[in-house]
Amino acid sequence: MNERIGKAEIAHMFAEAAKSLRSQHERLSELDSVAGDGDHGTTMLRVAEQLEHAVDPSSSKNLQSILRDTGWSVMGVDGGASSAILGTFFAGMADAVMGEDSMDGHELAAAFEAGLRAVSRQTKAQPGDKTMMDALVPAVNALRLADSASKTIPDAVEEAASAARSGAGSTKDLVARYGRSKFLGEKTRGYPDPGATSIALLFSGFSAALATERKS
Amino acid sequence: MRMKKFINDPKHLVEELLDGLVLAFPEKVRLAGGNIVARTVPKSSDKVRLVTLGGSGHEPGLSGFVGEGMLDCSVAGGIFAAPGAPGCIEAIRSACAGGSSALLIVLNHAGDVLSANITMEAALREGCKVKMVLTHEDISSGPNPEERRGLVGFLPVYKVAGAAAEQGASLDACLEIALRMERNMRTLAVAVRTATHPSTGQPIFELGDDEMEIGMGQHGEAGTGRGKLKTADETAEIMLNMLLDDLCVTAGEDLLVILNGAGATTLMELLILFRRVAHILKARKIRLVRSAVGEFITTQEQAGFQLLIARMDPELVKLWDAPANTPFFVKP
Repeated sequence: MNERIGKAEIAHMFAEAAKSLRSQHERLSELDSVAGDGDHGTTMLRVAEQLEHAVDPSSSKNLQSILRDTGWSVMGVDGGASSAILGTFFAGMADAVMGEDSMDGHELAAAFEAGLRAVSRQTKAQPGDKTMMDALVPAVNALRLADSASKTIPDAVEEAASAARSGAGSTKDLVARYGRSKFLGEKTRGYPDPGATSIALLFSGFSAALATERKS
Repeated sequence: MRMKKFINDPKHLVEELLDGLVLAFPEKVRLAGGNIVARTVPKSSDKVRLVTLGGSGHEPGLSGFVGEGMLDCSVAGGIFAAPGAPGCIEAIRSACAGGSSALLIVLNHAGDVLSANITMEAALREGCKVKMVLTHEDISSGPNPEERRGLVGFLPVYKVAGAAAEQGASLDACLEIALRMERNMRTLAVAVRTATHPSTGQPIFELGDDEMEIGMGQHGEAGTGRGKLKTADETAEIMLNMLLDDLCVTAGEDLLVILNGAGATTLMELLILFRRVAHILKARKIRLVRSAVGEFITTQEQAGFQLLIARMDPELVKLWDAPANTPFFVKP
């Protein structure tokens, strides 16, 4: 059982996350057209492209540089708040202490927490406001809890993904209170938030990448 | 309804429109990197540079106001989407090169503010001399200024801060002018027909044939309420009164009025509306000292307009009157 994940696993996680976002991009745009301008899926396609090119296995970059550069390239897709938040999350992960080439479960959890802290510095949105935070906060918390309970990395990441999915699902009953869609109020009830849905897709991709290792 | 727009591949909208802008006004603007519009002839490095950022699809806002007397540089985002921080940092970095300082002017919209804050953090860490001003003058988005969106009010802020910078004012002095303008202006928007998102081909909101919505934002964000379509005189009166109340304007004060078409409202309509605004101000003994009527920020073929009023003092009037030579705003 692997106790650490390295560049190869990170590359695989980003690639699967990209695949997961790609597979649902039309639905993301559909959800966005309820309360936004209907282009969230297009933005996520561009984010996916950055994630696919994030890790060059032949490069000598350490993990921190990989995460920081990935974050900045995601911010660079010019996709408004969603790419800014996601990019800030990845770049923020690099602020945590971690090994040059690999991380253990504690370091992975610490990195996700550092990412969330970086996002929280930039937005006042909280869970309940119908934003990405409704999926991101429970995902990061679940990962920390699973790590504290000495779960393996693949299991911990699956718990994070599952928390992200239920967090995203819970936004269906919420009314937007943040970002552009807050101005639409009640009209946003009944549909899950596209940003939170993207976070769930992202974590589901991370988990899928590690699934083969979970089975073995 | 099928989208009818003269476009090519929707993926290249921003790239192609910026190309067109610099090809149409080569003596005024040039591209400085992918999505950064800069002056063709930069101002001297001892003067404060004005930088802005914002989504595309709102032309001529915001890049159409780069030029002498107004902006030095504009970072254009995707369609209706803020530019990412990397491009904005690049713009601030080059604005501050050679010891210059920069004023970043940002319209209060979630994505723009996010990118701007990330940019400010990084630029200050690098030692750039930069300050930021947020415009938030839309009275329909609640009484809390932090919640208010930035609409056409960017125009007078660019204009007066740009004139001050051109005259050699310090960064703090430019910031003070920008803030004074910002605090003394209010805007209200109304929409009567939706726009099509040029990338997706979908309408950005739904509005009944006989309806109008006062307070609707630049992207179809819902406003204070829908109602039956009213005449120009009635609409102008309702909106102007709301603005005058919010800014607490009293008889004898000096006002700037800007009437901005949203994209599909004709100049005929804007002039008919303006007429009523001027009549009401006269009746209330409020002095209409300066005005601008036209399209400064649009949302594709959305029909509607934004009405801005701003309380002016002699210094602001002087700065408003100073020369400007940009693609879409010229003062001799």
